[in-house]
Amino acid sequence: MSEDIVILMIGVSTFLGALGLLALIWAVKTGQFDDHSKFIDAVKHDNEEDLRDAAMMAEKKAAHKKRIKELERKKCMPAD
Amino acid sequence: MSHIACTHCNLTFSEEVLIKEEVQGETLYFCCKGCQGVYHLLNAEGLGTFYDKLGDTQLQPASETSKSNSDLEKFDLEGFKNKYIKNHEDDLCEIHLIIEGIHCSACVWLNEKVLHKTDGIMEASINYTNNKAKIAWDPHSVKLSHIIQTIRSIGYNAYPYDPALQEERAIATQKTYYTRILVAVFGSMNIMWLAIAHYAGYFSGIEQSYKNILNVAQFILATPVLFYSGWIFFRGAYYGYKNNIVNMDTLVASGALLAYIYSIYAMATQGGEVYFDSVVMIITFVLVGKYLEVLSKKQAVDTLDNIMGSTPTEVTTVNKGIKALVSVENIIIGDTIELKPGERVVIDGVVHSGAASFDESSLTGENEPIYKQKGDSILSGSLCLDSVVMYEANKDISSSLLTSIVNLLEVSMSKKPRIEQLANTISGYFSTTILVIALFTFAGWYFFMGNFEQALIIGISVIVIACPCALGLATPMATLVGISIAAKRGILFKEAGFLESMAKSDVLFLDKTGTITEGKPSVKLAHIQEGFDASLLYALVSTSNHPIAKGIVNYLSHNYEHIPIILLEKIQSIDARGLSAIHDSHVLLGGNVSLLKENGIDDIHISSEHSLFFFSIDNKVVAYFELSDTIRKNAADSIDAIKKMGVEIVMLTGDHEKSAQKVASQVGISQVYSKLLPQDKANIIDKYQKQGLVTVMVGDGINDAVALALSDISIAMGNGADIAIDLSDVVLLDDKIDSLQEAYILSRRTYRGIKENLGFSLLYNVIAVPLAVMGFVNPLIAALSMSLSSLVVVGNSLRIKNLKFKEKS
Repeated sequence: MSEDIVILMIGVSTFLGALGLLALIWAVKTGQFDDHSKFIDAVKHDNEEDLRDAAMMAEKKAAHKKRIKELERKKCMPAD
Repeated sequence: MSHIACTHCNLTFSEEVLIKEEVQGETLYFCCKGCQGVYHLLNAEGLGTFYDKLGDTQLQPASETSKSNSDLEKFDLEGFKNKYIKNHEDDLCEIHLIIEGIHCSACVWLNEKVLHKTDGIMEASINYTNNKAKIAWDPHSVKLSHIIQTIRSIGYNAYPYDPALQEERAIATQKTYYTRILVAVFGSMNIMWLAIAHYAGYFSGIEQSYKNILNVAQFILATPVLFYSGWIFFRGAYYGYKNNIVNMDTLVASGALLAYIYSIYAMATQGGEVYFDSVVMIITFVLVGKYLEVLSKKQAVDTLDNIMGSTPTEVTTVNKGIKALVSVENIIIGDTIELKPGERVVIDGVVHSGAASFDESSLTGENEPIYKQKGDSILSGSLCLDSVVMYEANKDISSSLLTSIVNLLEVSMSKKPRIEQLANTISGYFSTTILVIALFTFAGWYFFMGNFEQALIIGISVIVIACPCALGLATPMATLVGISIAAKRGILFKEAGFLESMAKSDVLFLDKTGTITEGKPSVKLAHIQEGFDASLLYALVSTSNHPIAKGIVNYLSHNYEHIPIILLEKIQSIDARGLSAIHDSHVLLGGNVSLLKENGIDDIHISSEHSLFFFSIDNKVVAYFELSDTIRKNAADSIDAIKKMGVEIVMLTGDHEKSAQKVASQVGISQVYSKLLPQDKANIIDKYQKQGLVTVMVGDGINDAVALALSDISIAMGNGADIAIDLSDVVLLDDKIDSLQEAYILSRRTYRGIKENLGFSLLYNVIAVPLAVMGFVNPLIAALSMSLSSLVVVGNSLRIKNLKFKEKS
C-alpha cells in the first residue's frame, strides 16, 4: 500500500464526513433543532393527511407570491 | 351517583350536571356549552381524529367563546401593531404568540391544523416545548383579531410577546453552542480513529512516512476544534487575565494550547508523539458541560415572556366622558383610566371614583384581597377583582412598578453573583504552579544537560502526569453523590455547584406567606348554631375563588360527608365583603361583619385575632368561622436546627408588621422586615451581600422573584409560582420546611467530602510531580497511580451516602 492510497482514503472519508457536518450545521442555523420535543411528539401525528396539509400551505404561498407579482406589474404599468 | 368524563376535555363530573346529547345513536356528555361547541366545531371541520390523538389527557374546559371576545379589537390597533407585528418585504405580517391551554402534543397538532386551514395564513408553527407560536399571514385576506378568535374558538387562548427582548439572544447562544459542539464532536471522532492507527503503529512499528500522513490529518482536524469550538475558553481566559483571575477557562485553554503547540513541534521535527487527540477531547467534554448550563438559562427566559405577554398593551382611558383604547406607551401622568373586573393593572395610579378589591398577591405574596376606594393608590401588577374603578395615572409605563420588576429580573438574571467554587480556585492555583514548575524543569534540564528535545519532553511530562485527574474528579464525584441523595429526599439541586455554595452560606432569608406558612387560610374554629345547613353554605362558597371561601370549602368537604348539590339563585359577590344568594325564597349571606351590618344585622359583638366569616339565613347568623394562615409543620424545630448550624435567619414579608411579628415569634425568628415590595426584598439581600455575606433566599411567589434571582442561592417551594421555580437553584418538591434543614445538612456534608478529596489529590500530586521533574516517570507507574488516586476519590465520595436523616412526618 502506497502513501498516496492512505492519503486518498483519509482525504475522501474526511471530506464525506465534512459534508454531513455541513448539512447538520445548516440544519441548526435554519432552526430545525430549536424544538426538542417536536422530534418525539410530532412523529406520532405524521401521516398522509399532514403531507396534504403541507402541500396546501405551499400552494397558498405560491398563490400569494403570484398575486404580489401581479400587483407590482399593475403598479409599473401607467394607469389609463 | 356515577362520574362520567366530558367528551371534549376528559374531566370527570357527576352524571346529573353534564349536558347530554344523542349523536347517531351515541350518547355524548359535555361539562359545559363551551366544550360542546368546540366538539361540534372540530367534527364539522373534519378534525375529529384529535380525540384519538388526545387519549386520556385532560384539557381545560373550553370557556364560552362569546364572553372572552370583547377585547378582540385591540389586536387590530396601531399601537399593538407597532409593538408586536413585524412586516416582511413580501407583504406578509409576522407575530410571535404564546398559546395558553396546551396540554399535550395533540393540542399542538390541533392548533397548527386549524391555523393552516384558515385563509390568508401562510405559515404557522408551534413549539412543542414552550408552546410559543410563530404565525405569518397576509394582512389583506385575514385580520389578526380573526386569527386570535380562531384559536379561542377551539378552546385555547393566545397572547403576543416580543421575542427581541430575551428569546432571540438565548436562541442565538444556543445555536452557536450547538454548532461548536458539532464541530468538536466531528473533529474528535475522526481524530480518534486516526489515533488508533497511531497507537497500533506505536506497538507494532510504523514507518515515519505513514506516521507523517496521520499527523498531518490529525493536525488539520484538530485546528478548527481548538480555535473554533474552543474559542469560548480562549475568550474566558482572556477576560480572566484582564481581571487577574486564573479560572477554569485558563486551565482548559492553556492545557489544550500547550499540547497543540507541542504536537506541531513533534510533527515538524518528526520525533516524539503527537497529542492532538487529547486537545480535542478536553475541548469537547468541557464544552458539552457548559452547554447544559446554557439550556437551563433559556427556560427562565420562556417564563419571563409569559409574564410580559399576559399584561395588557392597551388601557381604556376616559376623557370628558369619551372612552378610548390607548396604547400603554401613550399614557401620560394625569390621564384617567378605567379598570374593569378581571383586568390587570399596568400603570400605577390613584383611585378617584369607584371602589373594588384588588388581588396584590403577585406583589406582596398575600392572598387576601385589599379593598381600595377613592384616594387609595393602586400598583401595577395587581388584579382588579370585582368592580369598575376609575383612577388617575401618576406614573407612565416605563416607571410603573410592573415594568420595573420585569426589568430588574432581566438584569439580575444576567448578573447573579457566582460564588467562587473551591475546586476552581484550587485548580486555578494548581495549574499556575504546575506551569511554573514545568517551565523551571525545562529550563533546568536544558541548562544542565544541554539537550533541547529531552528537556522539552520532560517539561511536558510534568504537565501530563499532573493532569488534574483526581483533582478534576474531587468535586464532581462528591456533588454527584450529594445531588442523588438530595433528589431521593425531594430536594432538587439544579446544578452541582449549588451544594458547595449553599454550604458556605451565612444568612438565610425566609419569605413568610407560602414558605413558613401554608399560604392559604384554613378554618381554626367553627361556631355552629341552630339552623345550620352545610349543603347551603357549601353551594354558596363554592361559587367564589376568594381564598377565604376556598378555606371554608376545604373545611366543609373534610368535615361533612355526602354534601348534596343545591342550586342557588341570584348569586352575587359583593365587593370585598362576601357573597349573597337566594334559595327557596330564603336569603343567604356569607361574608364579613360589614356585609351583615349592611343587611341590618347589628347585634354582633364577636372579635377575633383571626379573619371571621359569618353565614346567615334570613338575617339570622347560623354559623361563623375563624380562619387564619397556618404555620407549616415542624417549622420552629427546623428553623432552630438551622440556627444552631451558625446561620443567621431573617424573615422578609410583604405583610403587615403585626402579623409578621406574630409568625416570627412563633417560629423563633428575631430579625423581621415587613411591608416589603418585591424590590425592597432584593435591596435587603443586596445590602447583606455588600458586607461579603453569602445569602440563601427561600420563596414561593412572583413577589419573591427579584430577590430569588439576586440571591447567591435561591430555593423555591415546589408548589410555588412557575417563575419562582425557574429562577431558583434549589426546589423543595415536598414543600416541607424539614427539607430545608436537610438541604443544609447535606450540603455541608458534601462540602466536607469535597475538601477531603481535594486534600488527597493534592497530596498525590506533591509526590508524583517531583518524580516527573526528576525525569523518573515510567508510563506504567503513572497510569497505575493515576487510576488508584481516582478510585480513592470515588470511594471517599460514596461515604456521603452514610448520612442519616430523621424520618419525615
